[in-house]
Amino acid sequence: MLLGTLSREETMNLALVLGKVLLKSGAETNRVEETVIRFCRANGYADVNVFATPLLIILGDETTDGMTLICRIRYRSVNLSLISEINAFSFDLAKWDKNYEETKIWLEDKLKETPPFDRWQVILASAVGSAAFAGMLGGNSHDFAAAFFVGGLSMALLKILAGYRPSAFWENALAGTAIGALALLCCAFSIQCTMENIIVGALMPFLPGMAFTNGLRDYMAGDLISGNARISEALLFAISIAIGLTAVLLAWNRWGWDLWGMEVWK
Amino acid sequence: MNPLLSFLLAFVATMAFAILFQAPRSTLPCSGFVGALGWVIFVLMSKNFEYSTPVANFCATVLLAAAGELSARIFKQPSTVYIIPGIIPLVPGLGMYQGMAKLIAKNYEAGMSSLLGALLDSIAIALGLMMVTSIFRIFKMRKKEGHL
Repeated sequence: MLLGTLSREETMNLALVLGKVLLKSGAETNRVEETVIRFCRANGYADVNVFATPLLIILGDETTDGMTLICRIRYRSVNLSLISEINAFSFDLAKWDKNYEETKIWLEDKLKETPPFDRWQVILASAVGSAAFAGMLGGNSHDFAAAFFVGGLSMALLKILAGYRPSAFWENALAGTAIGALALLCCAFSIQCTMENIIVGALMPFLPGMAFTNGLRDYMAGDLISGNARISEALLFAISIAIGLTAVLLAWNRWGWDLWGMEVWK
Repeated sequence: MNPLLSFLLAFVATMAFAILFQAPRSTLPCSGFVGALGWVIFVLMSKNFEYSTPVANFCATVLLAAAGELSARIFKQPSTVYIIPGIIPLVPGLGMYQGMAKLIAKNYEAGMSSLLGALLDSIAIALGLMMVTSIFRIFKMRKKEGHL
């Protein structure tokens, strides 16, 4: 039984880890704050306040000699199943039967746990998603195959590079470069490929849809700082992909050869 | 394009994006359905009935987000799990790419008009999403007050 056995310090400690896990797996700010507050209220500490942005969580209470916990978030990833698990945890709190120590270890382990789909499955998903998207845009079978190849290979490249922890800007710019170069290669192989369908299809897995959607939801919940942060994150990612892609297309236009008489950016 | 084929393709694409976002395995088919629903409505409205793309995007997002919120309530999952992969097919990647490519080719007029079109599409998506989210938020608050 967890509920009703926790002291104020223990409650705030657990609440901070809870918020940390949620933010690190890419939850909206509003969900983080709500979950933390609900957890503290359920334990009987209604005066605990929390402020969360995508980069920082501050947790404190309204007493003069109370404690304040701060957690700076540096690396965020996307892991919807972790959000789902924490959501289930916070709703079934009454039935939770681990004690404080066990719960804390359980939560910290969740941060280290590998996500449900490993890197090969993610690469395959990226390939399939790109191909399906090229089909949705009206591409032919050549576009379909080429987008499968380009989407999978560029995601594989990104996964290799992710080990070096590049900044988000370089990561996306390199992905854009890889997509552009591989799409040009595919077009050089087959006359029936269209640059546009392949590139847009392969681009979709890298577009910051998550940051965009979460930013909008943050705005709607009144978290203006988080909303601004996420929308500008989405903008930065989109621009960095565009820069990578542009570099390749410009280079091809200058030094490349004529591809079946078609304009490269057609 | 054949609506059935685009439904199938969008279903597969959305499931693939859900895997990219590490969604729980059990929610994959449902989020695929939510995404495919949005895409089919968009295609039907913009291609078959010739509405402008922002209008089609708005209607598709409203239905998609409502379906996502409802399945979140039914399956007891956070609504993020359904809405985030589902909205990806609607993101105007094509418009952004065309705008960029035309700008490189120094065709500024056509490039800016493509980019503006993409911007309008994203604003329409944002509007639809915000509307549905806030409507469901009202329901949530009502429920909470009732419990208190």
